[in-house]
Amino acid sequence: MGVLDYFKSIPSMTTEEVRQFLAEKHPDEYNLVDVRQPKEYEMDHIPGANLIPMAELKDRLDEINPEKPTIVY
Amino acid sequence: MEGGLRAWQGMVAHGPPEAGMAFFSPAADAEEIVGLAWALEEGSKLFYQGVAEHFTQDKETKQMFNWLVSAEMNHEKHLLETYETLTGTKPDFERLRTKFSGSLNGTVMEGGVPVKEALEWAKDKGVSESLELAMAMEVNAFDLYIKMSRAIEDEKARQIFEKLSEEEQVHLEKLANLLDKKI
Repeated sequence: MGVLDYFKSIPSMTTEEVRQFLAEKHPDEYNLVDVRQPKEYEMDHIPGANLIPMAELKDRLDEINPEKPTIVY
Repeated sequence: MEGGLRAWQGMVAHGPPEAGMAFFSPAADAEEIVGLAWALEEGSKLFYQGVAEHFTQDKETKQMFNWLVSAEMNHEKHLLETYETLTGTKPDFERLRTKFSGSLNGTVMEGGVPVKEALEWAKDKGVSESLELAMAMEVNAFDLYIKMSRAIEDEKARQIFEKLSEEEQVHLEKLANLLDKKI
Protein backbone atom coordinates (compact mmCIF):
# COMPACT_ATOMS: atom_id res chain seq x y z
CA MET A 1 0.00 0.00 0.00
CA GLY A 2 1.35 3.43 -0.92
CA VAL A 3 0.79 6.80 0.71
CA LEU A 4 -1.47 7.83 -2.17
CA ASP A 5 -3.90 5.05 -1.33
CA TYR A 6 -4.87 7.12 1.70
CA PHE A 7 -6.25 9.95 -0.42
CA LYS A 8 -9.39 10.24 -2.44
CA SER A 9 -9.93 13.10 -4.84
CA ILE A 10 -12.45 15.81 -4.08
CA PRO A 11 -15.01 16.30 -6.89
CA SER A 12 -13.98 19.33 -8.88
CA MET A 13 -15.87 21.39 -11.47
CA THR A 14 -14.39 23.32 -14.38
CA THR A 15 -15.19 27.02 -14.67
CA GLU A 16 -17.58 26.23 -17.53
CA GLU A 17 -19.43 23.69 -15.40
CA VAL A 18 -19.70 26.24 -12.60
CA ARG A 19 -21.02 28.93 -14.97
CA GLN A 20 -23.67 26.51 -16.23
CA PHE A 21 -24.56 25.36 -12.70
CA LEU A 22 -24.99 28.94 -11.47
CA ALA A 23 -27.05 29.88 -14.54
CA GLU A 24 -29.46 26.99 -14.04
CA LYS A 25 -29.91 27.21 -10.25
CA HIS A 26 -31.48 29.74 -7.93
CA PRO A 27 -28.97 31.24 -5.46
CA ASP A 28 -30.92 29.64 -2.60
CA GLU A 29 -30.13 26.19 -3.98
CA TYR A 30 -26.38 26.18 -3.34
CA ASN A 31 -23.53 27.49 -1.17
CA LEU A 32 -20.97 29.48 -3.15
CA VAL A 33 -17.92 30.07 -0.95
CA ASP A 34 -14.89 32.25 -1.64
CA VAL A 35 -12.07 31.04 0.64
CA ARG A 36 -9.51 33.66 -0.43
CA GLN A 37 -8.41 36.68 1.58
CA PRO A 38 -10.75 39.69 2.06
CA LYS A 39 -8.58 41.94 -0.12
CA GLU A 40 -8.80 39.45 -2.99
CA TYR A 41 -12.57 39.25 -2.53
CA GLU A 42 -12.84 43.04 -2.63
CA MET A 43 -10.90 43.15 -5.91
CA ASP A 44 -13.13 40.62 -7.62
CA HIS A 45 -15.40 37.72 -6.81
CA ILE A 46 -18.13 35.64 -8.36
CA PRO A 47 -21.46 37.43 -7.74
CA GLY A 48 -23.27 36.02 -4.72
CA ALA A 49 -20.20 34.35 -3.24
CA ASN A 50 -19.95 34.27 0.55
CA LEU A 51 -16.48 35.23 1.79
CA ILE A 52 -15.10 32.77 4.36
CA PRO A 53 -11.27 33.00 4.31
CA MET A 54 -9.60 29.62 4.63
CA ALA A 55 -8.15 30.38 8.05
CA GLU A 56 -11.66 31.17 9.38
CA LEU A 57 -13.39 28.16 7.85
CA LYS A 58 -13.25 26.01 10.98
CA ASP A 59 -15.07 28.65 13.07
CA ARG A 60 -17.63 29.58 10.41
CA LEU A 61 -18.82 26.20 9.19
CA ASP A 62 -22.34 27.03 10.39
CA GLU A 63 -22.61 29.52 7.50
CA ILE A 64 -22.55 26.63 5.03
CA ASN A 65 -25.80 24.71 4.68
CA PRO A 66 -24.85 21.01 4.59
CA GLU A 67 -28.15 20.20 2.84
CA LYS A 68 -27.08 22.11 -0.28
CA PRO A 69 -24.25 21.53 -2.75
CA THR A 70 -21.22 23.72 -2.04
CA ILE A 71 -18.92 25.27 -4.63
CA VAL A 72 -15.61 26.52 -3.26
CA TYR A 73 -12.93 28.60 -4.92
CA MET B 1 -13.72 24.95 -8.79
CA GLU B 2 -10.63 24.04 -10.82
CA GLY B 3 -8.06 26.83 -11.05
CA GLY B 4 -10.01 29.16 -8.69
CA LEU B 5 -11.00 32.71 -9.63
CA ARG B 6 -7.99 33.15 -11.92
CA ALA B 7 -9.34 30.39 -14.12
CA TRP B 8 -12.82 31.97 -13.94
CA GLN B 9 -11.31 35.19 -15.28
CA GLY B 10 -9.56 33.21 -18.01
CA MET B 11 -6.15 34.10 -16.61
CA VAL B 12 -4.72 30.64 -16.03
CA ALA B 13 -4.87 27.41 -17.95
CA HIS B 14 -4.05 25.18 -14.98
CA GLY B 15 -4.51 25.68 -11.29
CA PRO B 16 -2.25 24.19 -8.63
CA PRO B 17 -2.09 20.39 -8.22
CA GLU B 18 -5.40 19.19 -6.80
CA ALA B 19 -5.23 17.96 -3.23
CA GLY B 20 -7.21 14.93 -2.13
CA MET B 21 -8.91 14.25 1.18
CA ALA B 22 -7.24 11.76 3.50
CA PHE B 23 -9.17 8.79 4.77
CA PHE B 24 -8.25 5.59 6.61
CA SER B 25 -10.15 2.52 7.52
CA PRO B 26 -11.46 2.19 11.08
CA ALA B 27 -9.03 -0.72 11.35
CA ALA B 28 -5.99 1.46 10.71
CA ASP B 29 -3.44 0.84 13.46
CA ALA B 30 -1.26 3.33 15.29
CA GLU B 31 1.83 2.41 13.32
CA GLU B 32 0.01 2.98 10.05
CA ILE B 33 -1.40 6.35 11.14
CA VAL B 34 1.83 7.72 12.58
CA GLY B 35 3.85 6.38 9.64
CA LEU B 36 1.53 8.07 7.16
CA ALA B 37 1.68 11.41 8.99
CA TRP B 38 5.47 11.21 9.21
CA ALA B 39 5.77 10.50 5.48
CA LEU B 40 3.56 13.49 4.64
CA GLU B 41 5.45 15.83 6.96
CA GLU B 42 8.68 14.75 5.26
CA GLY B 43 7.18 15.55 1.85
CA SER B 44 5.84 18.93 3.00
CA LYS B 45 9.22 19.82 4.49
CA LEU B 46 10.93 19.13 1.15
CA PHE B 47 8.28 21.16 -0.68
CA TYR B 48 8.77 24.18 1.62
CA GLN B 49 12.54 23.89 1.29
CA GLY B 50 12.20 23.93 -2.50
CA VAL B 51 9.79 26.89 -2.52
CA ALA B 52 11.99 28.90 -0.12
CA GLU B 53 14.74 28.71 -2.74
CA HIS B 54 12.46 30.41 -5.28
CA PHE B 55 12.33 33.58 -3.20
CA THR B 56 15.94 34.65 -2.84
CA GLN B 57 14.99 38.34 -3.30
CA ASP B 58 11.95 38.32 -1.04
CA LYS B 59 13.38 37.83 2.45
CA GLU B 60 10.04 37.87 4.23
CA THR B 61 8.58 35.10 2.08
CA LYS B 62 11.77 33.07 2.17
CA GLN B 63 11.79 33.40 5.97
CA MET B 64 8.18 32.19 6.15
CA PHE B 65 8.89 29.06 4.10
CA ASN B 66 12.07 28.36 6.08
CA TRP B 67 10.08 28.73 9.29
CA LEU B 68 7.58 26.18 7.94
CA VAL B 69 10.48 23.79 7.22
CA SER B 70 11.54 23.95 10.87
CA ALA B 71 7.91 23.63 12.03
CA GLU B 72 7.48 20.46 9.94
CA MET B 73 10.73 19.06 11.35
CA ASN B 74 9.37 19.67 14.81
CA HIS B 75 6.19 17.82 13.88
CA GLU B 76 8.25 14.88 12.62
CA LYS B 77 9.96 14.76 16.02
CA HIS B 78 6.59 14.71 17.82
CA LEU B 79 5.36 11.96 15.50
CA LEU B 80 8.38 9.78 16.13
CA GLU B 81 7.88 10.23 19.88
CA THR B 82 4.23 9.29 19.44
CA TYR B 83 5.27 6.20 17.54
CA GLU B 84 7.55 5.17 20.39
CA THR B 85 4.84 5.79 22.96
CA LEU B 86 2.33 3.70 21.06
CA THR B 87 4.48 0.79 20.02
CA GLY B 88 7.13 0.81 22.75
CA THR B 89 9.80 0.59 20.07
CA LYS B 90 11.88 2.89 17.91
CA PRO B 91 10.48 3.25 14.38
CA ASP B 92 11.75 0.60 12.00
CA PHE B 93 12.06 2.70 8.86
CA GLU B 94 12.73 -0.30 6.65
CA ARG B 95 9.48 -1.88 7.77
CA LEU B 96 7.59 1.39 7.33
CA ARG B 97 9.08 1.83 3.87
CA THR B 98 7.80 -1.60 2.95
CA LYS B 99 4.42 -0.75 4.38
CA PHE B 100 4.15 2.44 2.34
CA SER B 101 5.62 0.96 -0.83
CA GLY B 102 8.87 2.82 -0.44
CA SER B 103 7.24 6.26 -0.37
CA LEU B 104 8.76 7.32 2.94
CA ASN B 105 11.33 9.47 1.23
CA GLY B 106 9.29 12.64 0.97
CA THR B 107 7.81 12.09 -2.47
CA VAL B 108 4.27 12.96 -1.39
CA MET B 109 3.13 15.89 0.74
CA GLU B 110 -0.06 16.89 2.54
CA GLY B 111 -3.16 16.38 0.42
CA GLY B 112 -1.48 13.45 -1.33
CA VAL B 113 0.15 15.83 -3.80
CA PRO B 114 3.46 14.64 -5.32
CA VAL B 115 6.22 17.03 -4.18
CA LYS B 116 7.88 17.03 -7.59
CA GLU B 117 4.65 18.02 -9.31
CA ALA B 118 3.97 20.81 -6.80
CA LEU B 119 7.50 22.24 -7.09
CA GLU B 120 7.28 22.09 -10.87
CA TRP B 121 4.00 24.03 -10.74
CA ALA B 122 5.35 26.57 -8.23
CA LYS B 123 8.67 27.31 -9.93
CA ASP B 124 7.40 30.13 -12.17
CA LYS B 125 4.65 31.32 -9.82
CA GLY B 126 4.59 34.47 -7.73
CA VAL B 127 4.36 34.89 -3.98
CA SER B 128 0.54 34.88 -3.83
CA GLU B 129 0.12 31.62 -5.71
CA SER B 130 2.85 29.88 -3.70
CA LEU B 131 1.32 31.07 -0.43
CA GLU B 132 -2.12 29.92 -1.57
CA LEU B 133 -0.82 26.44 -2.36
CA ALA B 134 0.90 26.31 1.03
CA MET B 135 -2.39 27.34 2.70
CA ALA B 136 -4.24 24.56 0.87
CA MET B 137 -1.66 22.10 2.20
CA GLU B 138 -1.95 23.37 5.75
CA VAL B 139 -5.73 23.00 5.62
CA ASN B 140 -5.21 19.40 4.50
CA ALA B 141 -2.76 18.78 7.33
CA PHE B 142 -5.21 20.31 9.79
CA ASP B 143 -7.95 18.01 8.51
CA LEU B 144 -5.64 14.99 8.62
CA TYR B 145 -4.65 15.50 12.27
CA ILE B 146 -8.24 16.06 13.36
CA LYS B 147 -9.17 12.76 11.69
CA MET B 148 -6.19 11.04 13.29
CA SER B 149 -7.08 12.34 16.74
CA ARG B 150 -10.55 10.81 16.27
CA ALA B 151 -9.25 7.53 14.88
CA ILE B 152 -6.67 6.77 17.54
CA GLU B 153 -7.63 5.33 20.91
CA ASP B 154 -4.47 6.06 22.90
CA GLU B 155 -5.16 9.19 24.98
CA LYS B 156 -1.63 10.59 24.82
CA ALA B 157 -1.42 10.10 21.04
CA ARG B 158 -4.83 11.72 20.66
CA GLN B 159 -3.62 14.78 22.56
CA ILE B 160 -0.52 15.00 20.36
CA PHE B 161 -2.62 14.90 17.19
CA GLU B 162 -4.89 17.59 18.60
CA LYS B 163 -1.85 19.75 19.35
CA LEU B 164 -0.50 19.16 15.85
CA SER B 165 -3.85 20.15 14.33
CA GLU B 166 -3.84 23.36 16.39
CA GLU B 167 -0.34 24.14 15.16
CA GLU B 168 -1.36 23.60 11.54
CA GLN B 169 -4.13 26.14 12.15
CA VAL B 170 -1.48 28.62 13.39
CA HIS B 171 0.59 27.98 10.23
CA LEU B 172 -2.50 28.69 8.19
CA GLU B 173 -3.14 31.99 9.97
CA LYS B 174 0.50 33.09 9.55
CA LEU B 175 0.37 32.29 5.83
CA ALA B 176 -2.93 34.18 5.50
CA ASN B 177 -1.42 37.23 7.22
CA LEU B 178 1.58 37.22 4.91
CA LEU B 179 -0.66 36.77 1.87
CA ASP B 180 -2.69 39.78 3.01
CA LYS B 181 0.49 41.87 3.05
CA LYS B 182 1.58 40.64 -0.37
CA ILE B 183 -1.69 41.21 -2.25
